[in-house]
Amino acid sequence: MSESPGDRSIGVSIDHLSKTYPVPFLRLKKLFRRKFKPPVEALRDISFQIREGEIFGLIGPNGAGKTTLTKIIATLIQPTSGEVTVRGSDTVRDDAQVRRNIGLATAEERSFYWRLTAEQNLLFFARLYGLSGSEANRRIKTLFDMFELEELARRRFAELSTGNKQRLAVARAMLAKPPVLLLDEPTRSLDPIAAARLRSTISSLARDGENRATIFLTSHNLVEVEELCDRVAIISKGEIRALDTPQKLRATHTRNEEVSIIFSPDVADDVNLALRQAFTDQSFTLERASRDERWRLNFSREAEDATLDKVLTVLHQSGAMVRGVETKRATLLEVLEQYEENYRTDAGGEQS
Amino acid sequence: MVFLRRIWAFVVRDWHVTISYRMQFFLRVLSVLIAATTLFFISKIFAGSTNLRFAEWRDPLPAWLTGLAVLNYFMTGFSSLANAIRQEQMQGTLESVLMTPITVPTVVVASSAWDFVEATFFSLLYLIFGWLFFDVHYRGSTSLALAFLFLTTLVLSCLGILSASFAMVFKRGDPFGIFLGTGSALFSGVFFPTQLINQYAGSGVASISKILPPTYGLDGIRRVLIEGQGFSQVREPFVTLLIFLAVLLPFSLWVFGRAVRRAKKEGSLIQY
Repeated sequence: MSESPGDRSIGVSIDHLSKTYPVPFLRLKKLFRRKFKPPVEALRDISFQIREGEIFGLIGPNGAGKTTLTKIIATLIQPTSGEVTVRGSDTVRDDAQVRRNIGLATAEERSFYWRLTAEQNLLFFARLYGLSGSEANRRIKTLFDMFELEELARRRFAELSTGNKQRLAVARAMLAKPPVLLLDEPTRSLDPIAAARLRSTISSLARDGENRATIFLTSHNLVEVEELCDRVAIISKGEIRALDTPQKLRATHTRNEEVSIIFSPDVADDVNLALRQAFTDQSFTLERASRDERWRLNFSREAEDATLDKVLTVLHQSGAMVRGVETKRATLLEVLEQYEENYRTDAGGEQS
Repeated sequence: MVFLRRIWAFVVRDWHVTISYRMQFFLRVLSVLIAATTLFFISKIFAGSTNLRFAEWRDPLPAWLTGLAVLNYFMTGFSSLANAIRQEQMQGTLESVLMTPITVPTVVVASSAWDFVEATFFSLLYLIFGWLFFDVHYRGSTSLALAFLFLTTLVLSCLGILSASFAMVFKRGDPFGIFLGTGSALFSGVFFPTQLINQYAGSGVASISKILPPTYGLDGIRRVLIEGQGFSQVREPFVTLLIFLAVLLPFSLWVFGRAVRRAKKEGSLIQY
């Protein structure tokens, strides 16, 4: 029997976390009566937990607070209030211990030394993680194999393509085999094949038996989030709007799915008539699928109800041969858009 | 062991970066040779006419070469950390370094490690060129001179940590750099005896040299290397430097820790 994430211990815990970026030198600015912008509230009362071995996704529009949250977990930014713990260690009071337990891969290219080779860069960071020379070399070789970077090991970082720089960033995050990985848009600049391979690697890291990693992933690629993540949080204007499995998030948005059936030969009139007789309160649209005799029948249904089965029966009885069936459920993008729309409506209502 | 490994990591990194700019290295060697040669010819103007009041300035060339060699080292101690922090901020690598389980004191020591290796090389180059091409000879205890050098550099590193803290929070416009950078050459006796400041500018201006640690370092090193004085004769500048160190070391580390925390609160670690 497989273990569910809920049975596992806590990898990352975020408790009533808020972050407001202070106005630099506020007292001085007030003293000299200089104008200043108001403090920026980046995160507001955020609480959730990530279980060990879970892949947790965070999605949201630009400026929603994703990077701030990631950097707070990574100990690079201190929260204004609330608490973040990584495997029980507080990110402010016990930051050194937290850093031993995490690896961060950002999409920021500037985080490497451009004059050094890929290998020299990794060797430098491996030593900072306390790895001995032989340990570091072994680990770097493994990571170069894993990310197919062997041929680029002796190339300067500046000469690498954006995609390879990105892969090197993920490899660096994994140097010390950290139990918690923070991945900020890990596949942003990768080609589709490399992105698929990296997704597979990420997935296997979280399923790797005793050594499975807890993964916190932010991404704008919602298909990737759906494919990889056990749970997803939607963040907007510094607040978590929803948090659940991708399936349940889609279901809360709408349980309906769009169905499209391609059939031939040209028996559209018969099909139309039969459908009207079989379904009294269901609407259908029929359109030519191509220049030949193929037709497309479109309708919507509640996920997994009996409508599709009945429609297929009607089609067979009308002499149609089904060439293809496509179903399209709500995507996380639509869920995200819905939450943004709701937020705008609520904000507008409050203001008026 | 891990501490040394981390320092070694920084040294190797900076060595690799340095050798990726080979031309710059050779130009620096050449500039030291040109400076030493220039000072040799200037010193010939004063040959036989130097005031005997200032024993170590009878032949100004050894005094100048020692002054430049030591100033180069002192300035490294003072400026290297702030420069390293500023460079890491501009490159965007500071966050990556601070993401590793490395402590603030380790960052402090390790970031400047290569600069000291380089400064040792170039400081020795001043002395070696003097000995090799211009017949400059040194006497006295080398180990005592090195102790002075080490102690003064430590004191200046404390000021360097304060300077780096400034860079961490304010990003640019470091007042320590302006004061010590220009002040040391003028007030610490790099090119002329500090007693002359008292004679020509009065005791008020001369007192500035008394609050600058390089004054004591340079005085001690010259008295040891040029005059051949022993520890009992140079105890006073040595103890003064120890007092500077005892006050500045804990204070500067405390300030640096505060500066890092402030940058983390403002989220400005990689801003410059």
